[in-house]
Amino acid sequence: MMKLLCVDSEPVYREIISLCAEKEGVEVKSVASYEEAILTFESYAPDIVTLDVIVKGGSGYDLVQKLKALSGNRFVPMIFLASHTADSVMDKCFKAGADDFIPKPFNEVLFNIRLKTHMRHVELMKEMYRKNKALTYYQKMIEREHEMAHHVLDHIQTRSEKNSEQVAITRLSAASFNGDLALVKTRSDAARLVFVGDFTGHGLPASIGALPVMQTFFDAVDDLVCVNELAVRINRILFSILPDYMFCAGYLILMTQEGEITYWGGGMPNAFIRRSNGLVDYLHSNHMPLGILSASEFEADLQNNKLNAGDTLVIVSDGVLELKNCSEEMLGDKKVKNLISNAYAEKSLITAQQIIEQQLAEYLGESEQLDDITLVALRSPCL
Amino acid sequence: MSISITVNDAKDIATITIIGSFDFSLFNEFRAGYSDLTKPYKTYVVDMSMVEYLDSAALGMLLSMRNAIDADSNIQLTGANAFIKNILMISRFDKRFDIQ
Repeated sequence: MMKLLCVDSEPVYREIISLCAEKEGVEVKSVASYEEAILTFESYAPDIVTLDVIVKGGSGYDLVQKLKALSGNRFVPMIFLASHTADSVMDKCFKAGADDFIPKPFNEVLFNIRLKTHMRHVELMKEMYRKNKALTYYQKMIEREHEMAHHVLDHIQTRSEKNSEQVAITRLSAASFNGDLALVKTRSDAARLVFVGDFTGHGLPASIGALPVMQTFFDAVDDLVCVNELAVRINRILFSILPDYMFCAGYLILMTQEGEITYWGGGMPNAFIRRSNGLVDYLHSNHMPLGILSASEFEADLQNNKLNAGDTLVIVSDGVLELKNCSEEMLGDKKVKNLISNAYAEKSLITAQQIIEQQLAEYLGESEQLDDITLVALRSPCL
Repeated sequence: MSISITVNDAKDIATITIIGSFDFSLFNEFRAGYSDLTKPYKTYVVDMSMVEYLDSAALGMLLSMRNAIDADSNIQLTGANAFIKNILMISRFDKRFDIQ
């Protein structure tokens, strides 16, 4: 039930206002003085206030200011019912914080209409406040989930190989974590195993699949599991644990010390091989992503390529290709190809990686990075 | 409304039209689009001619639809622009859907 506080020095008006408001289903408390008004406002916490310009023990202008200040975050409409009806009086009332002004003597119908309008506003403001509170709560919760997801993923990444002149991994996190994962590890036979993946969705759900993938990956490094068998294993795990609307696009790549590459790719954009002469070849991902097909439907056939001395293999997540500059233009395959062709002309892989990171940052400029960015570069160890 | 459903009982076709961004925000609405139909249809059309952007969550939603619908029923993905078609092809959705 809505509550109205009526401040009026004249008993007859207190009665009329109470009668009118109660007829609308509003609970009313009436007071006669400035001092009582303040006290009652605090204890009664009304939804609406009516008051006169002349109040026993103070002025209506001061009172409305004081009550507005006491309302804090709450929206409490203040309606002046005033016997002084000069424009200048009305002006002063609104400037002091009034929401409405009705001259005395007032028409009952008019008062009821105005009261109903203010009640509706109060309801709307209350609802907005409730929704805003709920949204703030959910936003905080999601921010926390994203932090947790980052934490989990960062922990996984620490098991991956550190950057060197043969391996360089760049991961640039966006505010909204999108589930990129990059793992590189050298096996006991000196071949390198690489996994670059991109889980569906954002936040914590996107990171859930990363844990079993990581475990399977490092087991495969230890046990020298071949790439097609690893693809089968990861697919089987993700197929069984993820709901049907989640999956993981990815490349699984094995590169021998001599630069021989065998790979499995599903749902990923083309990867690039920058040849030592500056030309660019592609690795193609030709399968459905991991975690979609049942074990019986899954296809584990591999493709081959070779890194010669001076060549660089560069795998990028779609966050790189879909990077948008200030004019909302996506970076796209062609520009990425050019960037790669130029940056990896550099002899030192670590320096080349810094160059390309810098160029991506320049392209982004002032605009916000929307997705996580992952960029993995590899060179043949036989150099 | 960013999703609208029309059915043609004579031709046994249900069409789901998506407008704007096809992403996670449509998760419940899209699912309701095919699961709230009064009967199963032989052909489902997901009309994407008015879709500007599609993310991986949308791909997941399509896969979920494929699983929910009778294997004998055909799902056509129509009207995709070049950008979206490329995304669908990279993920080899041609293996599960009829991309037109």
